[in-house]
Amino acid sequence: MKNLIIGEHIVKSFGEGDEKHNVLDGVSVDINEGEFVAIMGPSGSGKSTLMFALSGMDSIDGGRVTFDGNDISSVGEAELSDLRRTKMGFVFQQPTMLKNLNILDNIILPSIRDNRKNVAKISEKARGLMKRVGIAELEMRDITQVSGGQLQRAGICRALLNSPKIIFGDEPTGALNSKSAQEIMDIFSEINAGGTAIMLVTHDAKVAARTERIMFMLDGKIVSELKLPKFDGTDIDGRVEKVTEKMWEIGI
Amino acid sequence: MYYRLIRNDILKSKLITLTTTLFVAVAAMLVSLSAILMVNLSGAIDSLMNQAKTPHFMQMHSGDIDTVRLTNFAEQNSKVDEYQVLEFLNLDNSQIILGDRSLANNVQDNGFSIQSEKFDYLLDLDGNIINVSDGELYVPINYMKDATTKVGDKAILDGKEFTVAGFLRDSQMNSMLSSSKRFLVSANDYAAIKSHGSVEYLIEFRLKDLSALGEFETTYASAGLEANGPTITFPLFKTINAFSDGIMIAVILLISVLVVAISFMCIRFTLLAKIEDDYREIGVMKAIGLRLSDIKKIYLAKYAAIAAVGSILGYVLSLMFKNMLLENIRLYMGESENSSFATSLGIIGILLVYLAIIAFVSGVLRRFRKISAAEAIRFGISQEKSTGAKHVCLNKNKLLNTNLFFGIKDVLARKRLYATMLVVLVISAFISIVPQNLYNTISSTSFIKYMGIGNYDIRLDIQQTDQISKKAEEVLEYMNSDSSISKYTVLTTKTFKTKMEDGSEENIKIELGDHSIFPIEYTEGRVPAVENEIALSALNANELNKKVGDTITVIIKGKENKLTVSGIYSDITNGGKTAKAVFTDHSENIMWSVICAKLSDKTLVDEKISNYADRFTFAKISNIDEFVKQTFGSTIKSVEKASFAAIAIALVITILVTLLFMKMLVAKDRYSIAIMKALGFTKLDITVQYGSRAVFVSIIGIIVGAILANTLGEVLAGAVISSFGASSFSFSINPLSAYVLCPLLMICSVLITTIIGTSSAGKIKISENIKE
Repeated sequence: MKNLIIGEHIVKSFGEGDEKHNVLDGVSVDINEGEFVAIMGPSGSGKSTLMFALSGMDSIDGGRVTFDGNDISSVGEAELSDLRRTKMGFVFQQPTMLKNLNILDNIILPSIRDNRKNVAKISEKARGLMKRVGIAELEMRDITQVSGGQLQRAGICRALLNSPKIIFGDEPTGALNSKSAQEIMDIFSEINAGGTAIMLVTHDAKVAARTERIMFMLDGKIVSELKLPKFDGTDIDGRVEKVTEKMWEIGI
Repeated sequence: MYYRLIRNDILKSKLITLTTTLFVAVAAMLVSLSAILMVNLSGAIDSLMNQAKTPHFMQMHSGDIDTVRLTNFAEQNSKVDEYQVLEFLNLDNSQIILGDRSLANNVQDNGFSIQSEKFDYLLDLDGNIINVSDGELYVPINYMKDATTKVGDKAILDGKEFTVAGFLRDSQMNSMLSSSKRFLVSANDYAAIKSHGSVEYLIEFRLKDLSALGEFETTYASAGLEANGPTITFPLFKTINAFSDGIMIAVILLISVLVVAISFMCIRFTLLAKIEDDYREIGVMKAIGLRLSDIKKIYLAKYAAIAAVGSILGYVLSLMFKNMLLENIRLYMGESENSSFATSLGIIGILLVYLAIIAFVSGVLRRFRKISAAEAIRFGISQEKSTGAKHVCLNKNKLLNTNLFFGIKDVLARKRLYATMLVVLVISAFISIVPQNLYNTISSTSFIKYMGIGNYDIRLDIQQTDQISKKAEEVLEYMNSDSSISKYTVLTTKTFKTKMEDGSEENIKIELGDHSIFPIEYTEGRVPAVENEIALSALNANELNKKVGDTITVIIKGKENKLTVSGIYSDITNGGKTAKAVFTDHSENIMWSVICAKLSDKTLVDEKISNYADRFTFAKISNIDEFVKQTFGSTIKSVEKASFAAIAIALVITILVTLLFMKMLVAKDRYSIAIMKALGFTKLDITVQYGSRAVFVSIIGIIVGAILANTLGEVLAGAVISSFGASSFSFSINPLSAYVLCPLLMICSVLITTIIGTSSAGKIKISENIKE
């Protein structure tokens, strides 16, 4: 399978002088097209930082990141923006929505930047996605008028609208109750089945167990990896057990 | 603890603290300056009028004078303290040469006097009564101001040589608004030149009790004494002296009010942003049981410190600048006797500014009450709904570029936030448009119509001579055959008695002739057209308490005639108390005649003037443009300067406040900006969004400012103009500069400032603002 992202010896450090420490300490990682991966690790291990580095949201201090054949560690800010808008989707732990826009406007915001004339068509597609994730009736609501789970679904719709090659999720179920979390994970599985790659950063073994490859991070390094067969809706408990065993083994 | 809080807070927001302090300092400076100037001006006028012993009542008179009768009147009237008749020798301006400059083109009535013995003294620049020797000439102070001459210059009066020995202050005629100027010569020299000019008398009284002035005026008028000329009283001398500096003080006061308003806006904005930032902390403080007043104190302390520093700085600045602004007052009126009181009034002024700021901050902090502790701790941000703009949806927008749309939508959604910037822009637009409209209005040719002067090119004044009507005939006859004159008319002013409602009689000056040839603006009603109609100047209508349609009783040829008031007009000529009528009266008690003429070719004006001046030596001939220029020239020039200064000030305010606002907005919006960037919006997109917000707000601000300028501004400017004697007033506007260039300049500076102010948005790191 073709590599979508190649990260080579990525270094990212914070602080100055004696305070300086590497949050990413020469991490190398590949993600294939259509792959569903998870990154696990304790707080401060560098999971989110790795995700920001791979998606071009944060600059890196060393190494190289290639996305879909482009070296994104050396391109300009504007091209990075274009890349994020057209080929990547993002879902965060806290719903990152703009307060002044209603749900539908928030979803279509990144898509219509380049495509204002097709606003009707884009809105239609968004409504279709909203229906698919079960929030069809909320399009005119303010973001303060809906629940966290509903907002997260809206966030997924926004991430999907441009038909990205990959969706990055930073603890996407972290703020949700277990029922909502399960529903969100069902949606992710469905999206992945359609061919979109997904990379999730998570603490939760149940979430990680839905993916096919789990990378474990400790102190800015990937220390181990666990491969699972593609999730087909069965034996979730067995998969979770494998993940927890691995976590025990590494000591996280 | 407060000190530490304040220090940390100020260190965190240096730019904003500095700007706010600066605005407070400027506001305090202006308030303090206007207080200091006001006290000094009134003090200086008082001491000048005390030292000079200005007359309480003065009647100018030309023609025969019966001094015995006047002396008897003065001796028998118990109100009179002192009485004198001074002579004022009118020389033709072309006969006066100061240094190497002739006063031929000067429109002032320049005349010569000797030092008076009892009161109404002419003073030197140290406030002492001048003792003039033979061969010496003392020149009115305004010729020093405009550098016409200097001490030591040779002066030639009607061929006789003098030396300019110094300059004089004249408590009566100092002001440019007074059309006569007195030069001082020795008694011997006066006798030598007397035969070359015409003598006008100044009949002057000092009363024992100034409050009896009104009664004395009536007594004088009804005694039928000499009254062929204007009457001027003590309060009017005072007003005339205070006028030009008074206007400057009024303008400073007005600007200080606006700057105080702007400081309030800055404070409101920074405070609201700070409250939003500290939302959770405020909730926590409430939750742990701190009282509202305790929390308020923490925030109030910082502004109390800023206001204190700003006020003190402003006061120091006002002490530094006061001498510059006092220069004119000192020159014309001398030192004030109560300058120590002035500085303490300045302190009271800044105390008021300080207290106003504290009260305002307390008011803004009242919204603490609305903060729910539970909500603040749970959500950390205010849950207030965005107001309005719900129907403005991105998914329905096909017209606008997404970034532009987004900017406008944000303004509509957060109206309260942008209100601050809007108010400042409205004020800026207002202060840049009003002065230039005022300048445009008073410099336009149609403006003189408001001043009681018709739209003609040349005016010939025939006065202080005998056989005025015959001389006027002579001129008219010549004009009739002069093809270069397209139209002309003669207006003759005579004094009549009018009967008041209480039966007493007063003098009224009525200008007779055809007033429809060079019409002026009537505030109400119209020009008098038939014999039994009369039009009154605004001041006269006010004094006689008459409206259009009322009747007024005038005694013509010994008979009482009822005239109907047909119109009311503004007038600045002859003390503003005039009347116009068309009835015929053949009596020879003419005060003066004015012949007005319009040329078929205006470029011939200079040639015509010298031609008529040579032919009719008894008349004073003036170019009306020159007349306006010399009477209002300095006012027009200062208004022009003020209007440029106002535009500059408005731009500086706009730039400073926009910069402040955008920096704060970016800090406040950093989360939204991070989301936008994460979603793939570029730095340029963000800049366009902020630019469109700023431009949208400035367009609204400029429109509102322009509307206010043309309504409220016109009323304010009208109030200033009415003190000249003009009562109705509307702006004449130069649309190119007022509605195109100025707004464009403002929008461009807002846009450029926004680009600079939001440049930090590009540096916002997504990872630092979205990280969980």
